[in-house]
Amino acid sequence: MRHLDPDRLVLLALSDEPRDPGESEHLAGCADCRHELDAFRGVAGLGSEAQDLRDLPPPPEHVWRAIEAGIVSPVRARTRRRRPRWVTTAVIAAAAAVVAVAGTVVVERVVDRSAAEQVTARATLKPLATVPADAGGSVRVLADGKMSIDVRNLPLTTGFHEVWLIDPDDLSRMVALGSLTDRPDAVLPVPPGTDLNRYRLVDISDEPHDGDAAHSGRSLLRGTLTS
Amino acid sequence: MNSDDELAERLRDGDEKALRTAYERHGAAVLYLAQRLLGNRADAEDVTQVTFVAAWTGRDGFDPQRGTMLGWLLGIARRKAVDRLRSAARDTRVTESVRAQLAPPDGLETPERVVDRLVVADELGRLPEEQRRTLELAFFDDLTHHQIATVTGLPLGTVKSHIRRGMANLRRRWEVDGAASGSRSAGPTRAL
Ligand SMILES: [Zn+2]
Repeated sequence: MRHLDPDRLVLLALSDEPRDPGESEHLAGCADCRHELDAFRGVAGLGSEAQDLRDLPPPPEHVWRAIEAGIVSPVRARTRRRRPRWVTTAVIAAAAAVVAVAGTVVVERVVDRSAAEQVTARATLKPLATVPADAGGSVRVLADGKMSIDVRNLPLTTGFHEVWLIDPDDLSRMVALGSLTDRPDAVLPVPPGTDLNRYRLVDISDEPHDGDAAHSGRSLLRGTLTS
Repeated sequence: MNSDDELAERLRDGDEKALRTAYERHGAAVLYLAQRLLGNRADAEDVTQVTFVAAWTGRDGFDPQRGTMLGWLLGIARRKAVDRLRSAARDTRVTESVRAQLAPPDGLETPERVVDRLVVADELGRLPEEQRRTLELAFFDDLTHHQIATVTGLPLGTVKSHIRRGMANLRRRWEVDGAASGSRSAGPTRAL
């Protein structure tokens, strides 16, 4: 028995071709050809539903930013970038200065509150996949150039938690802001001249006390700054 | 334009811009699928995000020999969306209504059907111009081959030949990338 020509089956599937009696008879008796005809009919059915799908709107940018925040690979970044030594030194020096003038700082904070608390950018920090889902936080960049960071339920660490600003377009670029203390909130200075449109990905990492100033590759929370 | 191979290579090399390109090309289809399956925009955007992050993490598992990038991404998205429906069922114990979502009653689309539509629509867009135009007139405008010949000014034989070739292309792509092919690819991407 000769099967129907596949090209002929395609035309029959689109159903505006009249079948001749021989074709109808063959189809009635041949499961293979019926199967082929059904497959092409299926394709034709899907094809006629394709019209709505041709002009889907472009996918939203904010979803892309969330993807960016999810894919940043600090392990890669680590191999490319070392934190400049001066940052560590500056952080230690700053810490010492805070201890020395702690009394003054409290007074100044009260005085400067109105100017300082104007928020110029903010981010919601979300846990990475390996981190308990109840961990999280928020970040506010204040008008005076400081960054206020609130975190909750961070996993315990034998090291410390470090705050980074990362350029999601070029992962070799990151700025270390400093480490979080045991308090749930911290205020860290953003180095003057830091472009927060570029370094917009906030990253909280778990760092061991190993003397290596580069990112450990163990990120806990991330979020993207928006103004 | 067969740039899936090149895109896959850049992805495997860890080039984030390749992921951006994939998002620009296929993000709309992934979002559409997720929204169809989950029924709300916020969850659909979440699943879209998770899908592209998983694609990035599992980029070594994409094999252009086994299917297109769109097919691969839709496969991931479908699993992520179904996972979400299942965990919603666990969380809220609204098992019944979720089961209804997983196996829609007659008249609603199954996940497989949505994937198949997206794959066929994508392939339609990739056909050579005259093939595509001819099939669109047959599919969307329901024209007979004679009417298509009249509208386009092409000889009837050419119309028929475009339709045959176009249909063969769509069918091949459907078999490679369609939802039914998901069961055959028990490769590494299943784990995503
Ligand atoms: Zn036959």
